[in-house]
Amino acid sequence: MINNVETYLYIALFLFAIGLYGVLARRSLIAVLISVELMLNAAMINFMAFNRFLAPHPAVGQIYALFIMAVAAAEAAIGLSIIVAIYRKMKSINVEHATELRG
Amino acid sequence: MSAWFSDLTLLGCFLCMVLPIASFGLIMIFTRNNHKLSLAISLLCSTIPLMIAWSLLYRYWDIAEPIVYNYDWILSDFIKIPFGFLLDPTSLLMLTIVATISWLVQIYSIGYMEGDPGFGNYYAFLSLFALSMLGVSISSGLLQLYICWELVGVSSYLLIGFWYEKFSASEAGKKAFVVTRFGDVGFFMGLAILTIFYGNLEIANINSAAVAQSMPPWLISTGALLIFCGVMGKSAQFPLHVWLPDAMEGPTPVSALLHSATMVAAGVFLIARIYPFFSASPEAMAVALALGTITLLLSSTIGMVATDIKQVWAYSTVSQLGFMIMGLAAGSYFAGYFHLTTHAGFKALLFLCSGVFIHHFGTNDFFVMAAKGGRKLIIPMVTITIAALALSGIFPFSGFFSKEAILGALYHHPNKIWFLMGLFGAFLTAYYTFRVIFVMLFPKNSAPEEKHGHDEPHEEHHGVPWVMSIPLLILATFTIILGFCQGYLERFLLGHTLHHEHNYLLLVSAVIAALSGIGLAWLDWGSKKAKCVGFISYVPALENFFKEKWYMDHFWRWFLNAFIYGTFSRLFTYNDRRVVDGGVDTVAFSTIGSGRLLSFLQTALLQLNLLFMVVVVAGVGLYLLMGR
Repeated sequence: MINNVETYLYIALFLFAIGLYGVLARRSLIAVLISVELMLNAAMINFMAFNRFLAPHPAVGQIYALFIMAVAAAEAAIGLSIIVAIYRKMKSINVEHATELRG
Repeated sequence: MSAWFSDLTLLGCFLCMVLPIASFGLIMIFTRNNHKLSLAISLLCSTIPLMIAWSLLYRYWDIAEPIVYNYDWILSDFIKIPFGFLLDPTSLLMLTIVATISWLVQIYSIGYMEGDPGFGNYYAFLSLFALSMLGVSISSGLLQLYICWELVGVSSYLLIGFWYEKFSASEAGKKAFVVTRFGDVGFFMGLAILTIFYGNLEIANINSAAVAQSMPPWLISTGALLIFCGVMGKSAQFPLHVWLPDAMEGPTPVSALLHSATMVAAGVFLIARIYPFFSASPEAMAVALALGTITLLLSSTIGMVATDIKQVWAYSTVSQLGFMIMGLAAGSYFAGYFHLTTHAGFKALLFLCSGVFIHHFGTNDFFVMAAKGGRKLIIPMVTITIAALALSGIFPFSGFFSKEAILGALYHHPNKIWFLMGLFGAFLTAYYTFRVIFVMLFPKNSAPEEKHGHDEPHEEHHGVPWVMSIPLLILATFTIILGFCQGYLERFLLGHTLHHEHNYLLLVSAVIAALSGIGLAWLDWGSKKAKCVGFISYVPALENFFKEKWYMDHFWRWFLNAFIYGTFSRLFTYNDRRVVDGGVDTVAFSTIGSGRLLSFLQTALLQLNLLFMVVVVAGVGLYLLMGR
């Protein structure tokens, strides 16, 4: 187990790539939402890794991580309620069916 | 990483946490529908913690200094929140109790839950419970303990509502969750106070004298009282006891494991865990003593009139928990904790025996069981009697020793009224316990020939399956021998043996209270000429009062309607409708208007747009990085 900053960056990169793929390729809104959470977590891992290995002050990265958690929670709440609203309107949560706003 | 494997103690603690959660995950994800495999996984993952717990107990029997493995989770200016393991006599004993009872219950459930369609789920939930309860026992920090504490609440909710098709069961699960949550909010606020004003949530540190020096007394009292709210919720103390009797809707082994032996004891354990902190606040101790006493008397009186066997034991659990808290609050850490230990044994035994009867006769009413010939099941009848003797506090069973220890602690309290209350509680306990036993042992209007005449649905059960009777016998053995281990346990928990002055007044009054309870039960329910009505029925008003459970359920219903629904809820709804919705509507209408102006930009190919965005941003980023 190599305990250095690159390991964590690779993990974060991997997570971010999975999340990005999910956002771009999945058609279900729920899956898209989950993928967004993955990307947020990747960013959080980056913060923690840089904090651990590079930053002199111990708390900065942790505070950002906590902050991202709060943002993620808010995002999940709003995102889910949007999905519910879309479902009530369209009877579907497929991204491609949301075409009502097409100009 | 190598430290994990070279240090066997650490590895053991780690396995205690990892195995149950692994079992929960494996069963829920993969093997839920394969009952045999789920059972094997769950049993494996509870047998290993059992062996670990006993070997740790054996290895650290002469432990002088607690063993602490701490890993800091959050370190900030002066806030320190650790995660890890703390092994000292308090946690080792609880670890052993939890591992043992949960293992026995898993064995017993093989027989009890046989053929249930949710068999796999059931074992997964039991594993989740084992994880959270083991976590509560060996946590090194209060936040970690709180997390496990909430997990205990979740698994209790899942197990109470296990037969969720039954409306009352799912309602009971919800009630248990909400009521304990109500107390846990207090617990959490107590933790917040400790974090803000003291900063260190490590249990070993909170128990040191540093707290009293760095916090003013009124803050300590506030913190201790708030934490006690959590204890009231989880350990079913007045006025939050209402969830426990309803929790009997779950399968009986669950009642034995969660709602008598381990989960409800978590509250008492929490007090024992941070006992020095609690005893630094005389106010909190006084409140605990008063509430414990009220709980003891209230639930014993309700237990006298219940006809559902599990209800009787549920109220008896509530009352014994009150008794433990009395012991702790009267200043004897050992008495309360010792009663927790013995109670875990004999109360689990009572429930498991009742489970055999319920399984066999398909009813919860012990009058019906008696009429159908309950006493013909030899092993459960003998063991239930042993457990009942222990619960009433009769020599030489374990309950005698622990009750006497608590009464001794109460006796040394300056205010003798608590001691008298405790004696009265012991009398009532003996009465309602032996009401059940005598009704079952000496049925009055049994009709044996009728038994063969009817087509009994459970006729195919011949005797009791061994997987159900072996745990009964093991627990009965514990019940018999545990009392004689008092001296050893004392040395283990306190580091020295207490000086026992033989107070014959105390001893005699305790024995007289128990014996007169049993005697009265004999006159009312046991003897040939008994009228089979409780002495309480001579005062109909009082009997009705007890049957209505002191109107506590009505009180909470009224409280909910008047305050939560009628006041807060209405105000919030109004705020939501007018202020929040109104504001949002205004914003929304203006957004719609402006959106119509720009709608020609929308192609409705959301993910294609995103892809372009990502590609462009990546391209620009690469250009900026490489181009220089």
